[in-house]
Amino acid sequence: MSEAAMKIIDLHKNIGRSHIIKNLNFDIRSGEVFGFIGPNGAGKTTTIRMMVGLLSMTKGDVVIQGHSIKSEYTKAISEVGAIVENPEMYPFMTGLQNLKHFARMSEGVTNERIKEVIDLVGLEKAIKTKVNKYSLGMRQRLGIAQALLHSPSVLILDEPTNGLDPTGIREIRRYIRRLAVEDNVSVIVSSHLLSEIELMCDRIGIIQNGELIATKDLHEKAETNEYIVNLDVYPVEESIDILRKMNGIEILDTSRGIQIKTYKDNIPFLVTTLVRNDIEIYGVNVLQSTLEDQFIEMIGENIIE
Amino acid sequence: MSKLFSLIKNELGKIFVLKSTWIMYVILAGIIIASAVITSTSNFVDTDKTYSDDWKTELQEENEALMAEIEEDEDNPFIESTNMGIIEENEYHIENDVRPYGYHAGDFTMDNLFLTSLISLFTIIVGGGIVANEFRWGTIKQLLIRPISRSAVLLSKYIALLIFTLFTVLFLILVSAAVGALFYGLPAVNPEIVVTRQDGMATSALVPEALMMYGFRTLNIIILATFAFMISSIFRSSALAIGLAMFLMFAGSTAAQALARYEWSKFILFANTDLSVYFNVVGPIRDEMTIGFSTGVIIVYVIIFIIAAWMVFTKRDVA
Ligand SMILES: Nc1ncnc2c1ncn2[C@@H]1O[C@H](COP(=O)(O)OP(=O)(O)O)[C@@H](O)[C@H]1O
Ligand SMILES: [Mg+2]
Repeated sequence: MSEAAMKIIDLHKNIGRSHIIKNLNFDIRSGEVFGFIGPNGAGKTTTIRMMVGLLSMTKGDVVIQGHSIKSEYTKAISEVGAIVENPEMYPFMTGLQNLKHFARMSEGVTNERIKEVIDLVGLEKAIKTKVNKYSLGMRQRLGIAQALLHSPSVLILDEPTNGLDPTGIREIRRYIRRLAVEDNVSVIVSSHLLSEIELMCDRIGIIQNGELIATKDLHEKAETNEYIVNLDVYPVEESIDILRKMNGIEILDTSRGIQIKTYKDNIPFLVTTLVRNDIEIYGVNVLQSTLEDQFIEMIGENIIE
Repeated sequence: MSKLFSLIKNELGKIFVLKSTWIMYVILAGIIIASAVITSTSNFVDTDKTYSDDWKTELQEENEALMAEIEEDEDNPFIESTNMGIIEENEYHIENDVRPYGYHAGDFTMDNLFLTSLISLFTIIVGGGIVANEFRWGTIKQLLIRPISRSAVLLSKYIALLIFTLFTVLFLILVSAAVGALFYGLPAVNPEIVVTRQDGMATSALVPEALMMYGFRTLNIIILATFAFMISSIFRSSALAIGLAMFLMFAGSTAAQALARYEWSKFILFANTDLSVYFNVVGPIRDEMTIGFSTGVIIVYVIIFIIAAWMVFTKRDVA
């Protein structure tokens, strides 16, 4: 669980005179979902391009499952599935033709495996339709299917939630959690919006102006991991009494539903307790995480553009 | 090896799944049929003429008629030169005992050699897009993050381009032969024919002669396609690749011709691309050139094109 699936070592990239990536150093652990967060233009895509060998590095290395992408490209890249920037596919071919095309480029991808990834992303119905008829959400899903064909141990998704509605984002979160938990795949997801990927990540790294300015473990019970949650429950008074008796919950407001501040890990227990006490639950909404506040503070600007 | 085979299959799949490719074949077949119709209806070629077993007498009579025509219209140099050409050829047939046939599928197929220029155009379009389009579609990233070297990706594209070229030329030959057989019949599968070489007339056989001429034109197409492929790989622009290759296709040999008085002009690629000049009356632009020399020049240029494409494609950042 703790050994590194990918190591980013002293990574630098200069294009012309500008230093786009400055000394990145971090590891992606096996089976974790790592959020790579930073405002637009921070260098996320540039870093990802270097991870998969599309861009040369000015200095440093990326080591994937023990293989350097520079000196053992084929071995290293065999472990990786990726979407870089946009999920671009051949528009004049069907989803299935696209998957078969990429399947032929890897070793040992069977027809059963192709069917499996189609099922995983739920594209059965549209798979014989040409990609130029696909919505952005469908193309994201096809992109993920394509990245998973050869059962990689490292999955890299660049802004997979871009342009998706909340339902689409929730769906992607579901596949990603499943891959990490069930198949021990290490997943790197980038985003310029912390809120869109926070719930799927185990750890995040924040990049700004080509530098990694912080990494955070979201499972640590720290100040930084508190959420503001709105509970729509009935009856309200009885619920407040129950919540008062629980540890680690701070009641903020009771004028419109019940607003509380608590750790992410407390939420399931809290819901179970309310249910056991015959409280009717109509909604549990995470309004904001204190992490997001900190993130905005850290990068010194509003990232929601 | 089987990996390379899969890659080539992918590339051919992407060429043939496109509607524009199918339109090319429809156009080609349409023009072949149209040229058969035009050839039969115009009186430029007498397609109905046939010869019996007594063909020697028939040729003699034909020659006498042609001579009479020349005498009748003494001041017309055009009639004189055309008719003298036919008379000479007829005499060669008689002297060397080479039986003539009326216009048939073989002649039609040879006449359609001019359609290889259309194939040049198609091949330039395909070759100019085969790398550049991946950049335009954004799929180049997906293509290059596989456990396959960039060299293998590029090689598979080049081989697919060569297969497309050969297939299209074969399509032209076979459809021409079939349409020709339908319109004019096929008197013999591989008849002897009379050809004009640099040192006069000679006897050859239809099939090897057709294969040789189509072969030279195919080589010509491959050179242009390789050039378009190189530009496409270096500049990632299909418009630039197609435009430059087409310009060279039309202007290249004319330019070489215009510069023929300089000795160095023989090193220009387009002074060497048409090897058929060594087998017909045209001849090379400079007398000291030989078919071996031209072949050598072609090989050097093609290797340079391929190496240039390869160096840029394998080294460059894909952003
Ligand atoms: N080819 C390039 N030439 C020059 N600058 C570039 C190039 N590609 C990206 N950049 C610059 O590098 C920075 C990082 O870009 P990018 O990695 O795309 O950011 P992100 O994906 O985090 O939005 C940006 O400031 C961008 O302008
Ligand atoms: Mg980006």
